[in-house]
Amino acid sequence: MNRNSLRARVTAFYVGMLAVTLIFFSILVYVGVRTYLTKSLERSLSTTVRNIEADYLAPLENKGPAWFQAEMSESYPSGISDPFVRIFEADKVLYDSGDLRDPVVRISDLPHPIQNEELNNFHRTFSSTGQLLMIYTVAYNLPSGRLILVETGASMEPLQHLLHSLFLILLIATPGILFIAAVGGHMLMARPLRPVVDLTEQAERIGRKQMGERLPIIPSGDELERLSLALNRMIDRLEEALAHNQRFSADASHELRTPLTIIRGELEALLQMPALPAQAMDGISSALEEGDRMSRIVHSLMTISRLDGGGERMEMLPVELASLVSVTLEHMSLLAEEKSISLTCQTEERVYVTGDAMRLKQVVVNLVDNAIKYTPVGGAIEVQLFARQQRAVLVISDTGIGIPAESLPAVFERFYRTDQARSRVSGGTGLGLAIVKAICGGHDGTLSIESVEGKSTTLRVELPLLELSPREISDLYPITTLNPKAEHVPMEQLYEKPVEELIHRRLKL
Amino acid sequence: MRILLIEDEQKVSALVKRGLIAERYAVDVTADGFEGLEFAEVYPYDLIILDLMLPRVTGSDVLQRIRRKNVFVPVLILTARDSIDDKVKLFELGADDYLTKPFAFAELLVRVKALLRRGPVNRSSTLRIDDLELDRLTQQVKRCGKRVELTAKEYALLEYLMQNAERVLSRNMIIEHVWDQSFDGITNIVDVYVRHLRAKVDDGNTFKMIRTVRGTGYMIRSRSEA
Repeated sequence: MNRNSLRARVTAFYVGMLAVTLIFFSILVYVGVRTYLTKSLERSLSTTVRNIEADYLAPLENKGPAWFQAEMSESYPSGISDPFVRIFEADKVLYDSGDLRDPVVRISDLPHPIQNEELNNFHRTFSSTGQLLMIYTVAYNLPSGRLILVETGASMEPLQHLLHSLFLILLIATPGILFIAAVGGHMLMARPLRPVVDLTEQAERIGRKQMGERLPIIPSGDELERLSLALNRMIDRLEEALAHNQRFSADASHELRTPLTIIRGELEALLQMPALPAQAMDGISSALEEGDRMSRIVHSLMTISRLDGGGERMEMLPVELASLVSVTLEHMSLLAEEKSISLTCQTEERVYVTGDAMRLKQVVVNLVDNAIKYTPVGGAIEVQLFARQQRAVLVISDTGIGIPAESLPAVFERFYRTDQARSRVSGGTGLGLAIVKAICGGHDGTLSIESVEGKSTTLRVELPLLELSPREISDLYPITTLNPKAEHVPMEQLYEKPVEELIHRRLKL
Repeated sequence: MRILLIEDEQKVSALVKRGLIAERYAVDVTADGFEGLEFAEVYPYDLIILDLMLPRVTGSDVLQRIRRKNVFVPVLILTARDSIDDKVKLFELGADDYLTKPFAFAELLVRVKALLRRGPVNRSSTLRIDDLELDRLTQQVKRCGKRVELTAKEYALLEYLMQNAERVLSRNMIIEHVWDQSFDGITNIVDVYVRHLRAKVDDGNTFKMIRTVRGTGYMIRSRSEA
């Protein structure tokens, strides 16, 4: 999970807030409970003293110590009474309820109370066994003036136990609650973020394929709705700009065609004139050649703008790239031979993609033609085709003049040519790579380039791989599989000629 | 042979007309679709060359109406559009052929002749120009009775040139015919193959049959026409 994601940050913030609140609340509970328990204990001790004073000490002088003893042991039986009670007159013990049994607390070890500031006050002390006790001692004056000290006390252990448990509960519960809150919050955040995720996915799709679609409007009446509306308006403007661009390319190419036809026709007619001076012949021919180049540029521009605009209808069928590549290379081998360039080819067998065979072939033709153009005599060109991670990968590397690093990002732009390329090769259109890029785009593929200036250039085309079962493959070639004789038909004819012609050919042979 | 040319761009129509007349065709020209329709109804033309971009009524409308009236006249469309969709649509409407601007006049002529022939193309098994002989059944080529060994592409190229002997073929025409559209723009492949073909066919002979027509393309010609 990304720490900086909106979802994580919102969750963290809210868990943090919850943590502060919970800790504050826990402290409050703990202190409150402790105060309440202490006060209760104090109240119970003081009630005990009050009772003893009223019920037993007041009538003591009238009824005598024996009665007092008897009554006291009945009310506060030795060893059972909690709180314990001890009653002193000077150093004489009038009554002692003895040690506490449950839990065991030794009282007998406690020093006798003395008349000091601790009287009429609650104080804490430790028993000889180390337990904390709360002790309340009150001085009582009998009517005769005799001073009686009443001491009562209780172990604070149960209270401490309780508080300890409470502390533990809070200690465990707080992080637990925070954890649940964090998980829950994170999941909860998915809901409000869901539209944003949808928005993103949709936006991705729109960018890649067609502009026609629009993002879903999130009818939340808040920032999200405004965001989706704003994005849609942006796509509107983008689409308009793109359409305008494409329309311009298409219109411009279109409008150029008629004058080109005329120029060409007039020049051709001129060339037919008898007894033309050599210089005129030369000039006209050169003009014709350039006219031809312009026609090719116009044609390529139209093709690109159609491919980019999605207006080009492509026959998307399963295509076996390995044979397409090797057949195409065979056609081009003569071009390489002309320059003594070694053209080698390594292909994995049966690499299928879905695509327009003609266009894919154009990709190979353009890339290899480029490689031949920019590779000096005696160089080498290597073509590789393989399937990797659901992608069909075509790599074309040459030992050519290379491309300066700073020019690399621009090589797929229309009409872009490096100075070196411009001076080296004349007659090109400057649109070859742009067409390849547009075709790759139309096939959901990618085109990338690496180059070392003066040494080599490598172009890499990646297309989504089409995985076919052997049965599906055999379905693709009904002609070849039906008739074993068909094997004699060269692969290139299978590729180039329509089926009718193929059959016609076979009937003739 | 009488040809009707419906084209609103005057210079284009003038060019085409001039060229066709030079080839001894009778040509009527109109710049207007409706007028073109009237012409087509009145005269029994052998061929109609129709531009798609016309004022008032579009070329495809004209084509549709012509087809409603006269099913048989071949129609060659001239257009500045070249997407596959456009082509398919036009063939559905009943066009017989289709030529994208800008075109070489030679190309127009080849298509016009093909349409006027109105039957199976010359499929005779042997093509012969002077002492050059091409046998389509055995795919063998002989010059002065001597066997010339050709690769498949060289053979296809020679066959195309010989089929259209005495006619200039542009590189684009050759590419589209011998290779395919994916080689668009790689015109030097034609030059390379022609050079190789020449080496095999013309070398050692005093008369060079395969001619380069600068700025236009290539042609094969016989000694008698030279």
